[in-house]
Amino acid sequence: MKNLIVATMVLFAFQTGHAQLRYFTKTGSVSFQAGTALEDIDGVNKSATSVFDATTGQIEFALLVKGFEFKSALMQAHFNENYMESDKFIKSTFKGKVTNIEKVNFKKPGEYPVTVQGTLDIHGVAKPVEAPGVFKVLNDETVTSSSTFSVTLDDYKIGIPGLVKDKISKTAKITVYCSYAILK
Amino acid sequence: MLLLLVTACAGYGFYMYTKKPADIRKADALYQTSAPGLLAEFNKDELAANKKYIDQVIAVKGKVADVKTDATGQATVFLDSGDLMASVTCSFYAEESPAAKSLHQGQEVTIKGKCTGKLMDVVLNKCSIDKQP
Repeated sequence: MKNLIVATMVLFAFQTGHAQLRYFTKTGSVSFQAGTALEDIDGVNKSATSVFDATTGQIEFALLVKGFEFKSALMQAHFNENYMESDKFIKSTFKGKVTNIEKVNFKKPGEYPVTVQGTLDIHGVAKPVEAPGVFKVLNDETVTSSSTFSVTLDDYKIGIPGLVKDKISKTAKITVYCSYAILK
Repeated sequence: MLLLLVTACAGYGFYMYTKKPADIRKADALYQTSAPGLLAEFNKDELAANKKYIDQVIAVKGKVADVKTDATGQATVFLDSGDLMASVTCSFYAEESPAAKSLHQGQEVTIKGKCTGKLMDVVLNKCSIDKQP
């Protein structure tokens, strides 16, 4: 199933013969914060893959869960073993659409607020999400995207044991930053 | 006796709690492979390759296809796999990024890092340059 998602993504990214404008990155950054006042818990993944179509607004992200880096070895171990079960759920994906892509002028440098709707797959659970974001057009070939949104851990069947429930937030704040290059 | 046990547990707990993630630069590579060889293994049987490589420190030899630097100065090196669609993505330690940036396209290099699996590319995390002939 996960292979299928990536395969579809590859096809989507490299399909040719259409006069569509696609942007691509393999070095997207996805970080999350799930700490409380008692403890900082955050991880960052710098090798997310993402592609979007500037004509249709279709947008996809994929990342390897094991690729999250932490300040503490214990946090990393708990994240992988107890919460994300990353041996079982190796990848995490988002597939969706920028609903107001027509508002972005890819020929004119500037910042454009956008809304993204789609399906987020974490820990083997797929849920619909909507998030605000900003596309920043730097020049003809480069666009950056950024977005911050929250997910409820319970929605993705990520359980928190009672012993640590004061240290771990029930929601995680997810921050995405990508610098895309145009696909030629 | 019980007190000793409790102290030992508390000590161990504190040690684990404050322990930093392992420095991959100091770790020995469990496998030595080439970028095309690594990709071929993942393409042939991804599940088996996942089991073998994920979370392991490996040294991958290959030709530099591209070097990218992000806004924070963090470098990522892509190793050529002989396949246009896929390469080996190597995300570097911040302190190792200047060395990565000095690499040029076509150069042979061996990069050591921790394998996190395969998306389109096989991805290595916490990379450093192992050998530069």
